[in-house]
Amino acid sequence: MKHGRFMVGLVGVAAVISYLVWTGVSSTMVYYLTPVELVERVEEDPSFRDLGVKVSGKVVPGTYERVEGELLHRFVIHDLEDESVTFPVEWRDALPDTFTDEVEVVVEGRLNADGVFEATTLLTKCGSRYEAAPEDLAR
Amino acid sequence: MTLLVGVALVSAAVIMFIVQPVVKGMHASLEREDDELTDTEARKRVALLALRDVEYDFLAGKLDEEDYRTMKSELTAEALAALEADEAARAEPGGVATASATDDLESEIARIRRHIQSGLVCSSCGYSNEEGSRFCSSCGAALGDRAVG
Amino acid sequence: MTVLGEFALWISLPVALWGMFLGFAGGRTQRGDLVLSAERSIYAVFFLHLVASIGIIAAFVGDRFEYWYVASYSNREMELFYKITGLWAGQRGSLLFWALLLGFFASLAVFQNRNKNREFMPYVAGVLQTILAFFVVVLLFAEVNPFERLDFIPANGQGLNPQLQNYWMTIHPPTLYLGFTAFTIPFAFAVSALLSGRLDARWIQLTRRWILTSWLFLAVGIVFGMRWAYEELGWGGYWFWDPVENASLLPWLTATAFLHSIQIQEKRGMLKVWNMSLVLATFLLTIFATFLTRAGLIESVHTFAQNLTIAYIFLGFMGGMLALCTVLILYRLPQLRSENQIESFVSRESAFLFNNLLLVGAAFAVMWGTLFPLITEGVTGQQISVGPPFFERVNFPIGLALLTLVGIGPVIAWRRASKRNLQRNFMTPVLVGLGTAAVIWSMGARHGLALVTWGISAFVLTVIATEFWKGTKARARIEGEGFLLAFFHLVTRNRRRWGGYIVHVGFVIMVMGFAGAAYNVDTRHHVMPGDVVQVASPFGHTYELTYEGLSVSLGQGQRNLLWQMIATVSVRQGDEAAGVLTTEKRQYVTSDQQMTEVGIRSTALEDLYLILSAVDDTRAALSADSSAQGIDLQVLIKPLVGWIWFGTLMLVLGTVIALWPSADPRRAAGALSSDTSEGNRPAAPAGAAG
Repeated sequence: MKHGRFMVGLVGVAAVISYLVWTGVSSTMVYYLTPVELVERVEEDPSFRDLGVKVSGKVVPGTYERVEGELLHRFVIHDLEDESVTFPVEWRDALPDTFTDEVEVVVEGRLNADGVFEATTLLTKCGSRYEAAPEDLAR
Repeated sequence: MTLLVGVALVSAAVIMFIVQPVVKGMHASLEREDDELTDTEARKRVALLALRDVEYDFLAGKLDEEDYRTMKSELTAEALAALEADEAARAEPGGVATASATDDLESEIARIRRHIQSGLVCSSCGYSNEEGSRFCSSCGAALGDRAVG
Repeated sequence: MTVLGEFALWISLPVALWGMFLGFAGGRTQRGDLVLSAERSIYAVFFLHLVASIGIIAAFVGDRFEYWYVASYSNREMELFYKITGLWAGQRGSLLFWALLLGFFASLAVFQNRNKNREFMPYVAGVLQTILAFFVVVLLFAEVNPFERLDFIPANGQGLNPQLQNYWMTIHPPTLYLGFTAFTIPFAFAVSALLSGRLDARWIQLTRRWILTSWLFLAVGIVFGMRWAYEELGWGGYWFWDPVENASLLPWLTATAFLHSIQIQEKRGMLKVWNMSLVLATFLLTIFATFLTRAGLIESVHTFAQNLTIAYIFLGFMGGMLALCTVLILYRLPQLRSENQIESFVSRESAFLFNNLLLVGAAFAVMWGTLFPLITEGVTGQQISVGPPFFERVNFPIGLALLTLVGIGPVIAWRRASKRNLQRNFMTPVLVGLGTAAVIWSMGARHGLALVTWGISAFVLTVIATEFWKGTKARARIEGEGFLLAFFHLVTRNRRRWGGYIVHVGFVIMVMGFAGAAYNVDTRHHVMPGDVVQVASPFGHTYELTYEGLSVSLGQGQRNLLWQMIATVSVRQGDEAAGVLTTEKRQYVTSDQQMTEVGIRSTALEDLYLILSAVDDTRAALSADSSAQGIDLQVLIKPLVGWIWFGTLMLVLGTVIALWPSADPRRAAGALSSDTSEGNRPAAPAGAAG
């Protein structure tokens, strides 16, 4: 039946797309955590280290350093709420222009066994990235 | 002061502009236009243009003889039905006659229609024959003598 | 002026509501005077929003920092150009700008139809006013009033982020907005068709140009954004699968599907419900995109603000629209039946359907990926996100399938294609495609996906070139014209078809450019003046880059500039000098961020892209210490990037050809229902065939 073949084709395409979405999600998804949550998870289950995670935190002022010639950047981030939870981050690429050493960042990568977070992507996240807060204008 | 005047002027102008049609009961048509294509007319155009498409694809070498024949006879039948439906709609009271053979398309349609109506399009293979033909120059079948309607 | 503008914005609300009410009432009662008033109210709303926009611009130009919006996006030192374009620099202004553009298009649509298509106009006016009123409500009541004042007057404003002070960034948002707002007109006609019960293809024919215009603006706007990212964000990428980018891609995908599927409705009277759904989906996605850009619900590099009121209002509006339109479509279902059935699996209709399914599938996948963090947070309380790998995995196969269909579509027969038809038309193109892939492979390229992409691209280009060739030849023979004239007439007599082919060519060239990214080169070097770096291009030649040194200037040149460090690099390609490139770091007074300006040398085959990643010792360099000249230099080679921009130009050219009005108005009216057919006249088909 022509019509039947046609439906098979359409359903087939829909199925393939759903399959792509499904496997795509399960193989590329990353947990989005705060540093506190990450530390808790790793304590509960050390194998959690092997999963890619995305962590948002704030750079601790004054901790930023650059290893000359290697394009390696190191800094420490702390939890947004609990400033005592910190871990060092290593980033091997050019820093975005918006990076300063007191900005909020989102890093994606893995937490090493020695407690260093090796970032594979780094985004700065600040409400004022493209929009200034005029409240700051008040003297 | 200037501000107040400005505000007053703008609001007055806007309100007058939009309220005027209602207050004066101005007329505005909500009817379908006369020179707009009617449904049957649109259908007729689509059918005839599909027919022309097939002819062109054949001439351009995209269709071979056999595909061309089958499609052409099918489309011819459809075009004929569409033409008859359009004529019928026109004949109805209130129907609008809009035919004017002024442009390429119109004359093209008129020609195809003449061919179909005068039986120049072969009913067995769909070939459009020269005027005056009595047998199809493509397949040799006798051309029908359909009454011109 | 600004106060007058604020006032104008306020009274535009009752005016829009008036128009909304009278439009629908006029449609119900068939009273022309009510409809006329509703139509006039559209002009009035446009005028009022024009006054409001001029008010905002006046506040920018006059440095009126008591306005929150002006203080946030401008300062005394900013160039006049950026003060004027400040109207759409931020969330608040751009919402007003959206309403302004919509008012403009709505007025244009009303004016165009002042004497024709009158049976549609009551509801068109009503729908347009509903949407305008919605935007005014948002502006006035969702804490985003651009006229909001501070309770003090700052001495100076914050200034616009320097990264946004860029030509592309200035024209990127308005272009997208033109696309978003222009699509509202077809939506209004579609709803009007549902309400008035005139459900033939008329509403599609009337709005075809609007759909195409909107589609063009969307495409160009998206590419402008890519161009901005490429030049300004400083790492050589042009697409990030960022929520805001995705949001602008979504309506483009569904609009593309719609552009194709309406041809089936026009030609075969099928897919009526599907087309209604697509126009509704596209409209909702334009609103969604506006909302995502300007409400900042999902974290994004573009994020503008966190304001939940506006999120709820937008979601409410979208939900309401969706529900109402669904009910309307269900109500009219009996009149939306297909007049024909698909006859064969192997036919052009079927190719169109698969194209639609793939485009909608891609839109669904992109949407799912974009909203995934929100969904998972809602369901599990834990945000889980998917990144670029997800979008690439899903969209690359879909993209390749679509690319293949671009080649299949033009030559597969309508209704049903025979085996011979397929053989006749596909043999050569398939061979050319395979041959191209083989040649590129033999030249050393081993990236599977890129090879497949280029092979399919060659197949598609061959199909389209053959179409042009056969068409020209046939016309030249029939009409006895020379080839050039025949070609010219071929295109001008059926602009929609041949313009469409040119758009396809542009798209294919763009895709070939995207595939070039498989051969990106990325190298990093630490260099001192005089150092030479060699970078090999995938095309075989080698660039020899000599770092000449760093020049530092303090507070000169542009306004607001604190300092500027320019690294100069001279380029040799092979044995020939190929000019000098500069890349720089800048610091503006108004921002605590440094900015990187990259150096790009474009050729037809590839871009050489230099980034000043870091200066060894910024402090020493600034204090004119001549020994502090060491820098980190990143050298990228981007094969075929130029093809993306060139393909976009072809796409624009093709769309403009398809949009160009026919010289003869009656002919144009006819062409509406016949555009996929040949505008060329086989003078004596019978004779020629015999």
